[in-house]
Amino acid sequence: MPENTSYMVAAYVITAAILVGYAILLYRRTLKP
Amino acid sequence: MKLLKTGRWITIVGLALLAAVYVRALAFTPVERFQGAAQKIYYIHVPSALCAMLAMGLVGVAGILYLLLKDPRFDRFGEASAEVGVAFSLVMLTTGPIWAKPIWGTWWTWDARLTLTLFLFLLFLGYLLLRGAVTDPGLRARYSAVLGICGLVLLPFIHLSVYFFRTLHPQPIVLKPSAPSLPGEMLVTLLFSFLVFTILYVGLVTQRYALSLLREQAEQHA
Repeated sequence: MPENTSYMVAAYVITAAILVGYAILLYRRTLKP
Repeated sequence: MKLLKTGRWITIVGLALLAAVYVRALAFTPVERFQGAAQKIYYIHVPSALCAMLAMGLVGVAGILYLLLKDPRFDRFGEASAEVGVAFSLVMLTTGPIWAKPIWGTWWTWDARLTLTLFLFLLFLGYLLLRGAVTDPGLRARYSAVLGICGLVLLPFIHLSVYFFRTLHPQPIVLKPSAPSLPGEMLVTLLFSFLVFTILYVGLVTQRYALSLLREQAEQHA
């Protein structure tokens, strides 16, 4: 396991959470404009 | 609404391709010798930063066009691009410190690049708050356009700040006058990631633009 892996994993998880979360939020907002 | 469906489909394709970026970056791109695995944050940090700058820059361009032509489509686009830009800025401002901690030994430093980027983020949060606070559509569009143009003016300073001031932040290794100083496999991953982030930007902005249209139609019917 390479060094600093936990930082890399955290960054990738947070990125996915922000982008997928925003996409879902936007989808829900368009259902009830 | 056709525009909304198109935006949804582009976003779905973008999110699917984001998974492909993760696979390529994590499994098929070599680990950098000195920084280790943390360097792979580069493949999400840089594209998100570029898309945030693109989004903020287009808010400013839309602001100029609105002031010149008074076309509400530019105001609507500016609002959509600012909101999506804030989302990408959030990715940039969280992945940056996570990368900085193991490499610089600190989460944050108040140098020109980081401070100006944070200022731009706050400026666009202010842009969205302003839009919520002003009820008159014409006035709201005009104030927003001016604030958006302020953000556009800030962008060149952010990009060039690493040349003008002493900073821990590295100088550009791709967006610079000479050829990119990045090995081929890493460059391909970065360009692929940038393409996918751009597709996501287009999909999200299209949906957000359609949402503004739907809200305007609902207000007219009310």
